[in-house]
Amino acid sequence: MRWLPTIVCWVLCLCVPLAVDARVRPYDDIVASGVLKVAVYEHFAPYSFEENGKARGVDVDLAQALADSLGLKLELLWIVPGEKLDDDLRNFIWKGHYLRPGVLADLMLRVPYDKDYRNQRNDVGELANEQVVMFGPYQRERWQVVHDTRRLPKVDSIGVFRLHRIGVELESVPSFYLSTVFGGQLSANTDHFPTTAAAFAAMQGEKVDAVMGLRGELDWLLFKAKDAELKESDNTYPNLGQPTWDIGMAVHESNRQLSNAIDMQVEDMINDGRMAKLFEAYGVHYELPGLYQDLE
Amino acid sequence: MKLTGLTHSTLCLAITLASLSAVAGVTDQDISDSGKRNDQIVVNGLNQAGQRYSTLDTLNTSNVKELRPVWALSFGGEKQRGQQAQPMIKDGVMYVTASYSRVFAADARTGKKLWQYDARLPDGIMPCCDVINRGVALYGDLVIFGTLDAKLVALNKDTGKVVWKKTVADYKAGYSISAAPLIAKGKLITGVAGGEFGVVGKIEAYDPSNGELLWTRPTVEGNMGYVYKDGKAVENGISGGAPGKTWPGDLWKTGGAAPWLGGFYDPTTDSLLFGTGNPSPWNSHLRPGDNLFSSSRLALNPEDGSIKWHFQTTPHDGWDFDGVNELVSFDYQDGGKTIKAAATADRNGFFYVLDRTNGKFIRGFPFVDKITWAKGLDKDGRPIYDDAHRPGEPGAEKKGTSVFVAPSFLGGKNWMPMAYSQDTGLFYVPSNEWGMDMWNEGVTYKKGAAYLGAGFTIKPLNEDYIGVLRAIDPKTGKEVWRYKNYAPLWGGVLATKGNLVFTGNPEGYLMAFDAKTGEKLYQFNTGSGVIASPVTWEMDGEQYVTVLSGWGGAVPLWGGEVAKRIKDLDQGGMIWTFKLPKELVAKH
Repeated sequence: MRWLPTIVCWVLCLCVPLAVDARVRPYDDIVASGVLKVAVYEHFAPYSFEENGKARGVDVDLAQALADSLGLKLELLWIVPGEKLDDDLRNFIWKGHYLRPGVLADLMLRVPYDKDYRNQRNDVGELANEQVVMFGPYQRERWQVVHDTRRLPKVDSIGVFRLHRIGVELESVPSFYLSTVFGGQLSANTDHFPTTAAAFAAMQGEKVDAVMGLRGELDWLLFKAKDAELKESDNTYPNLGQPTWDIGMAVHESNRQLSNAIDMQVEDMINDGRMAKLFEAYGVHYELPGLYQDLE
Repeated sequence: MKLTGLTHSTLCLAITLASLSAVAGVTDQDISDSGKRNDQIVVNGLNQAGQRYSTLDTLNTSNVKELRPVWALSFGGEKQRGQQAQPMIKDGVMYVTASYSRVFAADARTGKKLWQYDARLPDGIMPCCDVINRGVALYGDLVIFGTLDAKLVALNKDTGKVVWKKTVADYKAGYSISAAPLIAKGKLITGVAGGEFGVVGKIEAYDPSNGELLWTRPTVEGNMGYVYKDGKAVENGISGGAPGKTWPGDLWKTGGAAPWLGGFYDPTTDSLLFGTGNPSPWNSHLRPGDNLFSSSRLALNPEDGSIKWHFQTTPHDGWDFDGVNELVSFDYQDGGKTIKAAATADRNGFFYVLDRTNGKFIRGFPFVDKITWAKGLDKDGRPIYDDAHRPGEPGAEKKGTSVFVAPSFLGGKNWMPMAYSQDTGLFYVPSNEWGMDMWNEGVTYKKGAAYLGAGFTIKPLNEDYIGVLRAIDPKTGKEVWRYKNYAPLWGGVLATKGNLVFTGNPEGYLMAFDAKTGEKLYQFNTGSGVIASPVTWEMDGEQYVTVLSGWGGAVPLWGGEVAKRIKDLDQGGMIWTFKLPKELVAKH
């Protein structure tokens, strides 16, 4: 039954392709209400999480900065991630979820900014996410390996994992990659965990010698671990389809006025260094998204 | 002498207790007698075998057109989503669940609502497929059901007040319960649904009187089962004996195989018969091997949950063919010998007849018109794969390469239970004719990260119908008759001694057919789609029929060609009860 949620979005696309959902708040209504509703992923340190009952994280701080810049109060909506991004866009940007009738976010963060994804067609040739505007790239994300130098001094190539155990999150690209690369030779040394944080803890508990996951998550875990023997490697990843990608935001297609206003703020924050500071506060490397790298 | 005296008084006490509980509510005897008694419905499936067969024949092919609606009850509120429950009847009261984990008790004569219980559901539940529930279990004074946030709740049958509540699994990990729990030998048995990430399916037994856990049995090879003694977990053997036999690496720790549709208890072999869901992760290329006990039928010892036998319908599943569909026990004669068999119509399009004493394959055959993923079954019932119809390895091939697979992942038959007639010896199978295109997506994301996903679209195989109600002879594989339905069938079936077969369709009709010929003899428009299982019982000398109406469930959740066929169907939420009035019985 696992594929069902994925297809839900197609139904509305097909039946009422251009209808604007009544619950999408136009820019003027947002301003009048004094509140900006921003959707962020739950339990997703260092980007968005709760600590001692308080919302924290790079995306939470960014949402706050954006709300401040528009003179609005921030209201966070926590996303329970679906199987794919399409599910989250459907649940928070254009359709909502039947368990939360009437609830949509004005803005969703951590939405990849990728032309190919944006232009993806569904099975009947229509744009799969035509009700969503994806804009405002603010970070480049990538896959990364962290290793414990006490047991694995150096990762010259991914081939060392023929001899060393490595932890990954279940149902993730690192899992797919390490299970299949080099004809599956690394598969037996790949241990699966429910989260990257659990894999990291297993490395600290000497159950695995390394972890592969999102660089942002690993940066944060290293930042908290304060253990100089745990290091990020700089090896290459042969045959890894997409080693880097850019992270941006999304609003409803009818709400370009909001995306334009926010776009300007994001650009300012990147150019004056405030964006980098948000990431540094959580020990996360800040890498400019491609749009800004090309300008430099 | 002293000893005898003690025994005597103990016996007296036992008799007193037994008679008290008979007044108080559903007893073990009621449950054992469920196949014979027509004045009440106290088990899911109408009898313990799950045959959905009633020995009532007051209502029959000659008078069914006189069937009259006598009352209806709305579930009310704005929560009008899919209604899939089978009603239970005890002492003139109907107990039924509704969408959003609600329970209703109603006067079975008038439809007057006696009480309603609404589970308070937390934010953040992520049910797979609508907010449906498939019904309650009755035992003693209790009405017990499972909730979308994976709890068991026991209510007092007279007041609807909570007697106990127990968390079966963590909804935050994606677990939920939608199946009706099962009472077997005084134990309350349940599986769990969902749980995509880092979990293993499990079947558990609880003490119905207080919700205490008695045993737990993981449904993935390599994981330890436990029995609980004085609140302590005692190891009770690893499922399948040891890890790693049919799974690579450590994937057995997270193998899925959720038994989300519940099961039955077969007293003749003293076994719990349950089915399991598909394996995790979704990409079959990552988990070479059979991946036991995913997509299987299991027979469990009700005392401690140990696995007696298994039969895997789809080893190494790569198409999302859950193996949860109900395994229905039935006996038949073969050369003067009584065969203790069990049958199931699987998602994968094959109908299997098994020896229920040992799980051995007797025979199997397609029950749908088109199967592409396998060329057939071998002598042990194992599919002979057609590798051209297994989706390619993600990342290893060009994007856009698509394979066509029939049946679709929603199955030749989905959750909706079939019926077995003890008179005709036929199974009445609600099935669907559809296939799917599957391909690996070039670009996908998940929670802010690049991902490798699969795309798919469901395609009807015929212009004029998807649903097919089939009468199938389990001894020969022969289809005796079929009834075609434009929309996909999603409701359960009922067979009666009156030579009748009942089912409903998404178009909203409760329909009755001649069990021998398939001729449609009666239909009634309930106003919204019927995706629940009809029941029949006798009260005050008259035969009643009840079915829930309320469109929803998994069907409306997809797009493409199928969406066009159902776009005009509206939601609802009603109990509809019919009877054949006494005076009209005499007329015929």
